Amino acid sequence: MNDFSQLEDQLRKLRPAQPSADLVARIERALDDEVSTPTAAVLPRERRFHFNWLSLGLGLAAAAALVLFAFIRLQQPLKKTPSVASTSPAPTTLTDQFVAAGLTQVVYHTRDEGLHFPNNSEQPMRRVRSQTRETFQWRNPKTGATLRISYAKENVSLIPVSGQ
Amino acid sequence: MQNVATDENWKTCFSQLAPGLVLFARQWTRSAADAEDVVQEAFVKFWRRHHDIGNRGLLYATVRSIALDFIRRDSRRARREATALSDVDPTVPPAFDIKDDSQRALVAALDLLPEEQREVLVMKIWNELTFAEIASALEISQNTAASRYRYALAALKKNLSAAL
Repeated sequence: MNDFSQLEDQLRKLRPAQPSADLVARIERALDDEVSTPTAAVLPRERRFHFNWLSLGLGLAAAAALVLFAFIRLQQPLKKTPSVASTSPAPTTLTDQFVAAGLTQVVYHTRDEGLHFPNNSEQPMRRVRSQTRETFQWRNPKTGATLRISYAKENVSLIPVSGQ
Repeated sequence: MQNVATDENWKTCFSQLAPGLVLFARQWTRSAADAEDVVQEAFVKFWRRHHDIGNRGLLYATVRSIALDFIRRDSRRARREATALSDVDPTVPPAFDIKDDSQRALVAALDLLPEEQREVLVMKIWNELTFAEIASALEISQNTAASRYRYALAALKKNLSAAL
């Protein structure tokens, strides 16, 4: 390295140009921006929170619409049954339609929210919040096709508590 | 969490490092204004996360990374840089306060160094980084960093003697 010591000294005598005077001020402003917005890490969470609720709401609305639609379709043949029965003696034509085949209700979470006095009631009520998933199933006996609709549901039950 | 002491800390740290950092960034940006933008972005990003400059290797790695991103970010800029680099001079001249002809010759010889040697030289001479810090910043071994430094000095010496 001794061969290069003189060259290194020459290089060290070269001074880099000074940065512009406002660079420090610019950095200060940028760091101040951070201080004034310390919620930077929180904001995306809030956005996610709203997004989840929106998705849940839309999902429930879609599920409700589907259930309503299916319910109306299932109700229609029942209403027409007398007229169909009077004009067509063959009840086998009904077999090419979806018929209700089952309903399952799974309670996957229950939380006891403690005692409450709803509407200034003197009697305490225990509030129990349960989350369930309901699944309706229809089946076409002729084709064997099945239609299944599943949606989440939240129930809040108020159970009277008897005092002693 | 922010206090005056911290505020003064970053200013003290930055004022010591700024000329060398801007010189380091200018290897990729060509323009002093762009280099300052890179240094600003890198320093703010680094300080927000670390609040000290104990890990200088990481600071220089941040500057290098942002400088490379800076070039890639704007395709027009990238094309312009590529065009400029494909011209007669394939290197980026560092910016120095030149006092005499010998220093001008030294800067001209620096310009002829390959980029990988010049960046090690800039970090070692004008930023006073250790080979361990240089190795950390460039993600190379310390031996490679030391070799590149020696090769840079040898090439510089050769370029200078050829110019005389």
